[in-house]
Amino acid sequence: MYKNLYTDRLDSEVIDSYFKLDDIAEYVSSPNFIALAEQSGYQRKVPGVHNHFMDNLMYLREVGLPSNKHEQFNFSNLNKLKQLDILAKQSQYDPVDALERFEWVAHQENSIVINDSVILTSMDLGTKKPFGIQILDNVKFNKQKQDEYIKIIEPTEDFRNLTYAITPFTNVIIFPTGSKKRYYNKPLNLYYENSTQDPILEANTTIVDVQYNTKVKLKENVKAQAGQMNYVTYIVREDAELEINRSTLDCGGWALFDSRFVCHPGSKVTINFDNQGSKYSQENFYFKCSSNVDVNVKGRNNILSGNEYHQYVLVKSQNDNNKSVIDIKNVGREHANTSFVGKFDVSPYSIGFDGEMNNNNLMLTKDTKMHTRPILDIHTKEIECSHGCTISNINKEHMYYLQSRGFDKDSAKDILVESFLC
Amino acid sequence: MLKLANYSVEPVLQGLNIEFDIGRTYIVMGSNGVGKSTLLHSIMGRPDLDVSGEITFNGQDISEMEVDERAKSGMFVGFQSPTSVPGLSNFQFLKQALDTKGTEIRATLEKFKGLSHSLGLPDGWDKRNLNTDASGGEKKKNELIQMQMLNTQLAMLDEPDSGLDVDGIKALSKQLNEWRTADNTLIVVTHYEKLIESLNPDAIIVLKKDHVVGGGKELAQRIFAEGFESV
Repeated sequence: MYKNLYTDRLDSEVIDSYFKLDDIAEYVSSPNFIALAEQSGYQRKVPGVHNHFMDNLMYLREVGLPSNKHEQFNFSNLNKLKQLDILAKQSQYDPVDALERFEWVAHQENSIVINDSVILTSMDLGTKKPFGIQILDNVKFNKQKQDEYIKIIEPTEDFRNLTYAITPFTNVIIFPTGSKKRYYNKPLNLYYENSTQDPILEANTTIVDVQYNTKVKLKENVKAQAGQMNYVTYIVREDAELEINRSTLDCGGWALFDSRFVCHPGSKVTINFDNQGSKYSQENFYFKCSSNVDVNVKGRNNILSGNEYHQYVLVKSQNDNNKSVIDIKNVGREHANTSFVGKFDVSPYSIGFDGEMNNNNLMLTKDTKMHTRPILDIHTKEIECSHGCTISNINKEHMYYLQSRGFDKDSAKDILVESFLC
Repeated sequence: MLKLANYSVEPVLQGLNIEFDIGRTYIVMGSNGVGKSTLLHSIMGRPDLDVSGEITFNGQDISEMEVDERAKSGMFVGFQSPTSVPGLSNFQFLKQALDTKGTEIRATLEKFKGLSHSLGLPDGWDKRNLNTDASGGEKKKNELIQMQMLNTQLAMLDEPDSGLDVDGIKALSKQLNEWRTADNTLIVVTHYEKLIESLNPDAIIVLKKDHVVGGGKELAQRIFAEGFESV
């Protein structure tokens, strides 16, 4: 969407030109662009959506892009991210080509490709059946509902503003109450993919709504061949349960993945993820917990040589008896750069909060950079909270033991890495 | 089989000259801190030890060989506290170490199960994580299984009896006696009289601060009666 917005305006000047994130943020929040958006009538069909989008652009203009001073970017290599070349080249990227590229999804089961704010589903999801998934997108437009959902998107001081600014249309995936465990026994596969390997930027703003008393499992595959900015809001309603298994491969591009969870009373969220890092990769998890919410975050990240990987986990406990376990392990190979910032933010009204935060890091070489920062921001007394964050090297005694059984150094290291991540 | 000449490991062992012959069993004794474990691990090539002098195995100079190369040439050291590796089962570990593939896997597993059963290890031991959530005795028994399965020619065991119960020690001596042949060599660090008796060693080696005392079984008896000062 960015390339379309951008190139529509600047026409031939931008063909084959490279830009930086700052340029893009500056442009999409400039008076020129805002006027253009007004004029061309983005979201014109839904006045509420339109206004919300305009407000976001104004806010982005006011706050700009985040810096390392922001908590979630304390240790991340933002300069590297902002210096990446982003290609604005329109002519090559015909939307029909993109559709053909993802045609394979039609023949899958329970599968959705999310590409540059467009949703492509497998054929079985396209057929209307009772308690099936409902999708609100460009095709199945529902003004009233879209207007309702868009209000959930909040102005923030991180990259979510920019993601939303370049994808004004938000896709909504709804798991209705009556589907019960249907999408738990047969998980929904979500593929976040770029349509090209050229260094363009594609963005997706998505809302996943798991309705009352429903149990859902998502299998997310993130493959950033180019640049990818994802902003997904998961609404987990009363007594609903959401389990996400997310795998992010290094496909040569870069990715920012913001996951925001709005957890209603009695809900449960489990997210298991693994990541290999990339030129720049950042996963942020924001949990807003009402009461009696159970949040489990388990990450096992094996960051490949030279890659960047940064993560921020914020659990905001607003009311009674919430429970959260954060358990993240990172392995950093040669010249890898990783950071973890985890925060429990417990409000004065959140009695009985039970939180456990663990982040363990294994540095495989001296050239690896790893940071860890646990933050417990507690505003009430009656809680149980603990944290344990470590950064260590490969244990020489363990290496020696494996070598004494005939494993060479590389195999021994691989075994110890697997063992660490298990 | 293994020859040490003017062999030193700083700062504990100085100028040792010992020859371990093929087909024989040796017991290594010595007071605490004299360097018994250090001797075994230096022979295995532990990288953080400062070793000088000559070391040959089967006539080959192994001083420059890496630990894994020494292991592949037939050397085995049993640890006092074997390392835990969660996420890797006891059998997977051995399978990978032996690089067992295809049809050989079943036979290897059968052998593994047979050995673990004879050592009194519980059913499903093959699937348990390597040295994780195991008692000290179970870990020691696991070391014995590894020793027997890894085509060992020279076994060096560091206090294999520690942590074993009465039945465990019986099983240990039975296994070691069965394993011994004319083609392999056993070096055991132990101060357990009954184990020494049951192994019926060819020689007792007593490590002293700057020299070695060698002798027959009577040397061990004298030490048990009068202490290390007597030799």
